[in-house]
Amino acid sequence: MTKWLVFLLAAGLAAGCLASARLDGGGDEQAKTRRGRLRALGLGVALLVIAVCVIRFLRAQSRPVAHARGSSFALSATSSSSATLWLVLAILAAGVLVALRWRRALWIVSAALMAAAGYGFVRARDYGNAALYNTVFHAAQPMAVAIPRIVNTAGRAPSPAHRLALSVTLKHATVGFSLPVLSSVVPANNVMSYLVLPLTYAALLLGGWLAWRALDGRSAAVRLVVGKMAEAKKQGRHWGILLLPAAIVTAELLAPNIWFGPGAANIGWTVALVGGTLLLIRRWPVVAAWLATAGLAALGLAGLYLAGSWDSGRWPLPLTPDGSVFYGAVDVSSHAMIYPATVQAVALIALACWLVPRTMPATLRLLGTGSQAELATRVRRLAESRAAAADTAAADLRRLERDLHDGAQARLIALGMNLRAVERLIPTKPEAALALVAEARETSARALTELRELVRGVHPPVLADRGLADAVRALALDCPLRVETDIDLPGRPPAPVETACYFAVAEILTNAAKHSGAREAKVAVSHAEGMLRIAVTDFGVGGADPANGTGLAGVERRLATFDGILAVSSPVGGPSIVVLEVPCALSSPKISSC
Amino acid sequence: MRVVVAEDLFLLRNGLVRLLEAHGFEIAAAVDSAPDLLQALLQDEPDVAIIDVRLPPTFTDDGLRAALEARRAVPGLPVLVLSQYVEQLYARELLAGDAGAVGYLLKDRVFNDDQFVDAVRSVASGGTVMDSEVVAKLLGRRSREETLARLSAREREVLELMAEGRSNSAIAQRLFITEKAVSKHSTSIFAKLDLVPSDDDNRRVLAVLAYLNG
Ligand SMILES: Nc1ncnc2c1ncn2[C@@H]1O[C@H](COP(=O)(O)OP(=O)(O)O)[C@@H](O)[C@H]1O
Ligand SMILES: [Mg+2]
Repeated sequence: MTKWLVFLLAAGLAAGCLASARLDGGGDEQAKTRRGRLRALGLGVALLVIAVCVIRFLRAQSRPVAHARGSSFALSATSSSSATLWLVLAILAAGVLVALRWRRALWIVSAALMAAAGYGFVRARDYGNAALYNTVFHAAQPMAVAIPRIVNTAGRAPSPAHRLALSVTLKHATVGFSLPVLSSVVPANNVMSYLVLPLTYAALLLGGWLAWRALDGRSAAVRLVVGKMAEAKKQGRHWGILLLPAAIVTAELLAPNIWFGPGAANIGWTVALVGGTLLLIRRWPVVAAWLATAGLAALGLAGLYLAGSWDSGRWPLPLTPDGSVFYGAVDVSSHAMIYPATVQAVALIALACWLVPRTMPATLRLLGTGSQAELATRVRRLAESRAAAADTAAADLRRLERDLHDGAQARLIALGMNLRAVERLIPTKPEAALALVAEARETSARALTELRELVRGVHPPVLADRGLADAVRALALDCPLRVETDIDLPGRPPAPVETACYFAVAEILTNAAKHSGAREAKVAVSHAEGMLRIAVTDFGVGGADPANGTGLAGVERRLATFDGILAVSSPVGGPSIVVLEVPCALSSPKISSC
Repeated sequence: MRVVVAEDLFLLRNGLVRLLEAHGFEIAAAVDSAPDLLQALLQDEPDVAIIDVRLPPTFTDDGLRAALEARRAVPGLPVLVLSQYVEQLYARELLAGDAGAVGYLLKDRVFNDDQFVDAVRSVASGGTVMDSEVVAKLLGRRSREETLARLSAREREVLELMAEGRSNSAIAQRLFITEKAVSKHSTSIFAKLDLVPSDDDNRRVLAVLAYLNG
């Protein structure tokens, strides 16, 4: 009977989530999409599961049976009316939360998962003395005594029953909360309890991922981290982060009692290990990525050796007091466990192999196995950029032809006609002829101006004369902004690269003058390790986006012909930084100009 | 007045020579490459040289570089540099050193032979002549916007002509005002731009150009 009520409510919750998502989803834009609805549903179910776990746990606690670790996690079929009431309330709360504040629901789910993971670690590692579990569990005790006193400022002495209730609640709220989540998925069966660790890792990953999603660009700090990660990813330096799990697993393998068991080390070890690893990752991301790859491979090999040597007892590293070995997500404590350990070892080796081309491209090239896929991508990119270059060149020629046809050519025709008229007028009306001659001179001057502009557009003379360095200086001088230049080019890039870069800088400076509202800009040109790098910075309004115009997109296309790239960083409010990088070699040292 | 002409295109070289001779100049040498030019400048010691920027052997800015080199050897050697296009970068290089006696003009300016000949004479006598395109770009700088906004429209016109290197009388003629009015405007401009006034035409041009370039 009560079970039916619960099912009914659960169905109602699901339907309510769907409906609320359809009906504007509590004002959240994302909730209107199909994904949003699915998410609402998933969150509702997750919250429900958590609620069920908490209630079951509370019930188990309220029974006088001492709650020993791993004693009974099975769902009890009986249900008291008060538990049903709790459940109903929980379902209603979950529904309301998902409908109105799905982000907060996401938070709760992820926090629950993390807490479950924390508990899972304690459970998996806490053999024999239950020290850690008890420590955390009883940490709540003093609070349980203190808080009722603070709450009861009215002077009413808290009744013993009141105090007991609060103490129990607080205990559950701290550590106990995570217990039921895990216990509901891990039966107390002995073999299956080996799953605690893998499940714990899964819960940790899922919880972390959800928390990440919940944060998603909300706070400035997260944006900073995301930005840093994106930057690292862009430079292919993000694999270093894998060093953190590799280091932790290695530390556990080498010193099983480092965190758990008798003589578990204090928090200092954790800080030293995690902090040191993070520092290494941040300071030397490339080295960290290398180490992570090598470390994962080594862990994999160690796992294979462990599996092979377990039965003969030749494993050289220290064991836990239980006589087992902590190997990542697998605790090797008996012959049966060498199979999951082997699986994990192979997976780690596979992961390391997969990482090698990503973290050690140079090594790969050394081995002469520059992968086929890489070549294929490159060929495709070259084909694309070549087609774009050919299109651009054709369009440029067409434009040139039209400009000449409508401009200089037309003016020369007019000039010829003018002169012919002058010829006729001279004998009869010399003053009129004089006026026409002045006009002819004007026309030829204008034709010259137009031709000059055309020539600048095709190939700027100063670039031909002096090369990129001085041409960029000339651009800086021509720009209405005050442009500071910092140019360090010991030679000249190939002519086509020079031209492309010149027009790129011209476009970027024109943009700065046209859109940014800045008074000053900076241009830095340098060449290092086979890469020409130009950075143009202005301190204007920001908001530059190649997608909003033709100029920057054109520059991007033109640079692509040379495997060059254009990167725009222009947050609203500025500053705008446009960086272009083109791989190229510099030819003979600069002939000193003047 | 003895002139060296350096221009590689036969048609233009001939045209220049004819124009100059028609205005009473004496052609000391008419050369068509940078090495010849350098030799002519250092040996013939002309009163003024008219030099095309682009010359053999490399057909880049050889003419300009020869001119700069000659001026390093003989400071203040009067050179008038002509080109199909003007670059502020080159203008700066020519102006560097404050020696005066330089000119930098678009080739188109020979269309108006009177003004062109005035420019040649001005350079020969130690003056500075800048093309109006260079000056217009200098005045268009945003960093100078505020101070230049203090000038009246007329003062701006006067400033522009002053920067091109024209004398008071030339400016007066051009703007249809009296010379006295021009000098009044120029005093006012110098006051507004916080420049030290100067009666010497050449000092004045250099001060204005230095200010605009700064
Ligand atoms: N330096 C800048 N500061 C602010 N906004 C910029 C800047 N550069 C470009 N933008 C913005 O980015 C858009 C794209 O630029 P671009 O591709 O050059 O097109 P456009 O032809 O409009 O210049 C511009 O329309 C402008 O709104
Ligand atoms: Mg643009």
